[in-house]
Amino acid sequence: MTDKITIRTEGLTKHYGDVEALVDLDLDVLSGEIFGFLGPNGAGKTTTIRTILDEIRPTSGSASILGMDSHRDAVEIRRHIGYVPGDLAMYPNLTGRDTLTYFANLRGGVDWSHVDQLAERLGADLTKKVGDLSSGNRQKVGLIQAFMNRPEVLIMDEPSSGLDPLVQREFQTMMRETAAAGSTVFLSSHTLSEVQRVANRVGIIRHGKLIAVEAVSSLRSKAIRKVDLYFDVPAEQGVFESLNGVRDVVVENHHVSMSFDGHMETLLNAVSGRYTLVDITTQEADLEEIFLAYYRDEGVTA
Amino acid sequence: MLATVVTKTVRDRWKGIAIAGFSLAIMLLFGMAVYRDIDISVYTDLPEAFRSLINIPKNADVGSLAYGAIYSTYGALTLASLALSMGSASIAGEERNGTLGLLLGNPKSRTHILVSKASSLVALTALGALLLWGAGYLAPAVLNVEVGGMHIGALVFHMFAIAVFHGFLAMAIGAWTGKAGLASGITAGVMIISLFAAGLLPLVEGWESGAKAFPWYYYEGSSPVLNGMNWGHLAVLFVAIAVLGALAVVGVNRRDLRDKATGVNLIDRLRTNPMTKKIVDRLAGSMRVSRIWIKTASEHQGLLIGTAYVMFLVMGVMLGPFFNLIEDTLATFTDALPEAVMALVGNGDMGTPEGWYQVETFGMMVPIAFMLVTVAIGARALAGEEERRTMGLLLANPIKRSRVVLEKTFAMTVYAVAVAVATFSGVALGSVIGRLGMSMGNIAAATLLGMLVGLVFGALSLALSAGTGRSRVAIYGTIGAALTFYILNAFLPLSDSVAGLARWSPFYYYLSSDPLNTGMHWGHAAVLLALAGGLVALSVVLFQRRDLRQTG
Repeated sequence: MTDKITIRTEGLTKHYGDVEALVDLDLDVLSGEIFGFLGPNGAGKTTTIRTILDEIRPTSGSASILGMDSHRDAVEIRRHIGYVPGDLAMYPNLTGRDTLTYFANLRGGVDWSHVDQLAERLGADLTKKVGDLSSGNRQKVGLIQAFMNRPEVLIMDEPSSGLDPLVQREFQTMMRETAAAGSTVFLSSHTLSEVQRVANRVGIIRHGKLIAVEAVSSLRSKAIRKVDLYFDVPAEQGVFESLNGVRDVVVENHHVSMSFDGHMETLLNAVSGRYTLVDITTQEADLEEIFLAYYRDEGVTA
Repeated sequence: MLATVVTKTVRDRWKGIAIAGFSLAIMLLFGMAVYRDIDISVYTDLPEAFRSLINIPKNADVGSLAYGAIYSTYGALTLASLALSMGSASIAGEERNGTLGLLLGNPKSRTHILVSKASSLVALTALGALLLWGAGYLAPAVLNVEVGGMHIGALVFHMFAIAVFHGFLAMAIGAWTGKAGLASGITAGVMIISLFAAGLLPLVEGWESGAKAFPWYYYEGSSPVLNGMNWGHLAVLFVAIAVLGALAVVGVNRRDLRDKATGVNLIDRLRTNPMTKKIVDRLAGSMRVSRIWIKTASEHQGLLIGTAYVMFLVMGVMLGPFFNLIEDTLATFTDALPEAVMALVGNGDMGTPEGWYQVETFGMMVPIAFMLVTVAIGARALAGEEERRTMGLLLANPIKRSRVVLEKTFAMTVYAVAVAVATFSGVALGSVIGRLGMSMGNIAAATLLGMLVGLVFGALSLALSAGTGRSRVAIYGTIGAALTFYILNAFLPLSDSVAGLARWSPFYYYLSSDPLNTGMHWGHAAVLLALAGGLVALSVVLFQRRDLRQTG
C-alpha cells in the first residue's frame, strides 16, 4: 500500500429535487488498499459510486479516479476499472460466457484463461443463460466480469449479495490478491463483518454524509458487542454497571446481558473470583449500534 | 385482493387509454373541421359498394364522414391494440417479469388473479369506449355539426366488443403458454388479417360469405354507425369472449408457471443439438455479442421476422393476384370516385395496380410496419437497458454514451432495411405473379420513402427514450405523434385553405409525390433523412446530459 490516491471526491454533492442524497463528501482512497464503504440501506453508497462512475452527475463538487476527472475522462477511466453494480442485472437471454464475451469485446484485452480460472474458483456455470441462474450464480458472472481484465481499480456495490459463505470466502481471497498486486478495491457493504475481514480502512456514511474514516483495527476496538453471561448463582446489577464500556445492563437471575465496547479483559477480570462463569456468548453489534457509538463519541448529529 | 389487483392494473394502464382516447378525439374534431370546410356532396354519388366499404351512408353528411373514416377503423384498432397489450400482460406479462409468483404468494387462486385481470381489462376498455363515446358527441357539438341519424353509441359498443375480444384472445394465449410476446404477436396477426379479410372478401364474387369467418366482420360488417346495434353479431362476439375467458381459466390452472423466463428460441435449440452446436455457437455466441448493434438487433428477431413475413407475403405477394380477382369491381369505382375520397384512402387510383397497392399496402401498412420495428428498437434502445438495470454495466466499459446511441440507431436502421427488402420483394413478386407490370424502380422508391418515414418516427422514439429513460413515454409519445401527423397529412389537403399545412407532417414527404407512379422524389427523401438525422443527434445530446435512471 502506497500513499498514492486512487479515488478522490471533493465536496461531492448530489440532490434529487429536495432530497440530499449526498452532502459534501470528501474522500480519499489510496492505491493498493481495500476500502470498505459502509452504511445502512439508503445512506448514499450507491449514489456515491454512480457519481464516481459518471452514471449520474454531481450537483456540485467533483470526483476523480487515477487522477482523471470522473466526467471529462469517463471513457479513459473505464479502461482501468472493474465494476459490479448493486442489485446486479444482466441480459437474461445471454449465457454467462456470451455476457463475458460481450463485455470483453467492448473492453478489449481480456485473457480468457484468466476468465476460466476465475470461473473455476467461484464455481460459476458459464454455459447457462443468465436469466436461468439463481441470484448467487448470476452474481458470480458479475464478479468475473469485473475481475476479468485485471483492473487497476475495482468498484463493487454490495458484491457478495446472494453468495454462499464458501464462495464469499473465495471472493475475499480474490480481493486480497488484487490489492496485493497493487490494485485498489472499493467495496460498499452494509455488513460490518464482511468489511472487517478484508478491508484496510473503512468509510462510514449515513444520510449522505461521511461520518468517519477509520482503520479497521481501530474500528474493531470501538465496535460494541452484545455480551451474554451465565453464572452458577444469581448476579448483581451493580457489579457490571460501574465497568468501563458497559451499557444497558439487564440482570435476570443467573443471566446478565449488556452492550459492551471495551476490552474483553476488563469484563472477565471483574467477574472472575466473584462468580463462576458457566457460559459466555458475544454477538457483533449491528451497524446501527456502531453508528450510535460514533454519534456518541464524535458528537455527529443525525 | 381482487379489487387490489384491478386497481393496480387500472393505475398502471389508464394513461395509455387516456392518451389514445384524447388522440382519437382530436382526430375526430379535426376530421370534422376539415369536412365542414369542403363540399361533401361528391360523396353522395359514390357507388354503393364503395360507400359501405369506407362506412359512408347514402345521405352522407359531415358527421357520418368523420365517424366512418376515423372512428370506425382507427378507433377500433387503437382500442383493440390497448386491450391486446393488457391481455398479453395479464398473466404472461407478470410471469415474464417474475412477479406472478409473488402475486400468487397471497392466499388467492390462479382463477382469482385471472378474473381480476380480466375485469380490469374489461373496465379499462369500457373506459376507453366511454371516452370515445363522449368525444363522439362532444366534437360535433363544439363544431356545431349536425349528426342526426348516426348511431354513435352502437358503433362504440361494437368497438368495445371487438376490443375485449382481442384482449381476451391475447389473455387466453398468454394463460396457456405463459409467453407474452407470442400472445401479442398472434393476436395482432389475427387482428390485421381479419381487418383486411372482412373488408376485402365481400368484394370478391363467390367469396362474400368468407368474411364471416373473421372476427372483424362482427364488428364492422353490419355498419353499426349507420344501422345501429346488430345484436346477432354482438352475440357472436360475446360468446367468443366467454369461450376465450373459460379457456384462459383452464389454461392458467393446468400449467406449470414459468420461472422469470428466458425464452427458448430456434438458436437455443440448435445450440444444444450436437450436430449444429459448433456453427451456431459461433453465430449465437461470438457473433451476437461482438458489437452493441448486433446484440440489439438480435433481441427483436421475432418481431422482425413477423413483420417482414406479413409485409412480404400478405401485403406484398398475395395482393398481386388478388387485384386480378377484383379488378372489375375496382374499375367501376375508379370512374365514380372524386379526388377527395382518393386523398382519404391514400391517394391511389384503385383501378390501377399502383393505386391498389398504394391504398392497401403503402397507405397505412407500410408506415405501420416500419414503425413497428423502428419504434420497438428506438423506444427500448436506451430506456430499456436502464429499466432493466444493465445500462450501468454497459457504460462501465470504455465506450462513450454517444457510441451506444449510434450503435442502437444502426441496429434500428438494419431492421428498417430488412423490412424494406421484404416489402419491396413482396410487392415486386406480387406484381410479377399478377402480371401487373408495375415499375420496379417506383416500388423501390415508395418503399424507400416509407422506410425513411419509419426511421423518422424511430428516431423520435429514440430521442424520447434518450431524454426520459422511460420506454413507455417513448412508445406512447411516438404513437401519439404518428397518429396526429398521419391524420394531419390525410385531411389537411382536402381543404384548400389549410392544404399547405400538410407539409408540417413527415407523412407528406412519403406519398405526396406519388412515388409508385412517378418514381423517386429525392428532395422529399432528403427532408426525411435530415429529420431522422436531426432527431438522432438530439438523442445523443439528451442522453449525454442526463443522469442514468436507477430503477429497481
